[in-house]
Amino acid sequence: MDPSRGAGSPAPRACDYGGAMRPIIGITSYVVPATWGVWQNLPSTLVPHDYVEAVTLAGGRAILLPPDDRDADVLRALDGLVLAGGPDVDPALYGAAPHPATEFRAERDAGEMLLLRAALDAGLPLLAVCRGMQLLAVAAGGSLHQHLPETLGHERHRPAPGVYGEHEATFTPGSRIADLMGADRAIHCFHHQGVADAGSLTVTGRADDGTPEAVEDPNGGFVLGVQWHPEYRRDQRLFGALVDAARTRMKENGTACADR
Amino acid sequence: MRRPLIGLTCYAQHIQYQRNELMAAMLPMNYVKAVHAAGGRAVLITPDDPGTDVLESLDGIVFTGGGDVDPVAWQAERHPATEVDEVRDAAELMLMRAALAADLPVLGVCRGMQVMAVATGGSLHQHLPDLVGHERHRAAAGTDPLAAGASDYGRHDVVVDENSRAHQLFGRHLTVNSFHHQAVADPGEFVPAGWCPDDRVVEILEHPGLTFALGVQWHPERTTDLRAFTALTEAASVGAIIPA
Repeated sequence: MDPSRGAGSPAPRACDYGGAMRPIIGITSYVVPATWGVWQNLPSTLVPHDYVEAVTLAGGRAILLPPDDRDADVLRALDGLVLAGGPDVDPALYGAAPHPATEFRAERDAGEMLLLRAALDAGLPLLAVCRGMQLLAVAAGGSLHQHLPETLGHERHRPAPGVYGEHEATFTPGSRIADLMGADRAIHCFHHQGVADAGSLTVTGRADDGTPEAVEDPNGGFVLGVQWHPEYRRDQRLFGALVDAARTRMKENGTACADR
Repeated sequence: MRRPLIGLTCYAQHIQYQRNELMAAMLPMNYVKAVHAAGGRAVLITPDDPGTDVLESLDGIVFTGGGDVDPVAWQAERHPATEVDEVRDAAELMLMRAALAADLPVLGVCRGMQVMAVATGGSLHQHLPDLVGHERHRAAAGTDPLAAGASDYGRHDVVVDENSRAHQLFGRHLTVNSFHHQAVADPGEFVPAGWCPDDRVVEILEHPGLTFALGVQWHPERTTDLRAFTALTEAASVGAIIPA
């Protein structure tokens, strides 16, 4: 056993398999009862395939991370992390009582929070989507609005079941997200909670109604949260930037086979 | 000691959950729970990516159950009952060959065992009921295989070759669940090590030349008998603690 290989330290790779290693991007996954073929409501772990396609298009190798709260060892295999969308975050994690409209899965929260904290400690590039951005804000010491329609008086962030709200966001000039998005600021949202307090992160994007749409690490690490769903358009501006950051980290850590 | 990292091949499948209908990368949680119960850490390997570099990160890999393997791989015509996913086949055959070439510990479950045979030059019977004249290798047609738990699968005995490595793991006899309509005809570079005594259908494959390459035709992830998964994670732990 090599005690120097803790969570977050990249594993040596033997390069036995030929070809250059692509950055490995872990995507946190849902656990839901799924129905297909002969199977009815079979407990399954999954992510919408949009995420996989967005990572693959960007030149990353996607692997899915089912929730597991034993340890964060899996980080040693990753070059980047996507915190995917999903249900609400347990309000107990930011010291609030649950709103009647709040639905959370404690085991997913536990597994993802453990992974997220370790990823932040290790400086792993990470893109946090929708619920992922909310979890990121909570991990940074912040808190959430539990039901935006009450706070804002409108439903534009979640117009109807299965329908994305499309609107434009305003980004802070000079921020990472402003640079990545450029002139096209149209975004696709589907959420009923929102970030109330971003903790130690900086809010760098907002909707017209003031709802935070993007948060990032003020210290310059690739830690980016977006309230919308960039995977819906396989948005290469964001997934491309994540994979680039992951590739840079591979090279710095000497884990890219092409460099050996 | 860190847990060995075990990849599970998964499905790209159109599914429904609650009010949602979507294309998902997905796998039944039974497999994940079986790996975790056996001391590993499960990650899912999406089946539609034509590359093998991901194997570098793994200590072991499970080829999971699923649809039929395309008989084009052994130059046969497709039987009317054969349903294939060409994208998954291409990715898994490539991953299987690379994993075996690198002597990565491998477990094949149901379709996964069949992929072992086909990837190494073997072939399959495409529709067992035509061959053996009975349906006991799968749950009755039209029934929900989960309606009453694993007992709704076909169930039968397996007899294990006393000179095999599988015998050390399973002993001479075991009773298994069963949910398949295809079976191994030619095991390729693998060696059959267990059979259904009623009809000689191959139930276990192993590879004597590799550290750990075991295929089982049944579904241990749906039972409390996790010996196949434990054997995989033990073999994978050896790789996990010796720096590459």
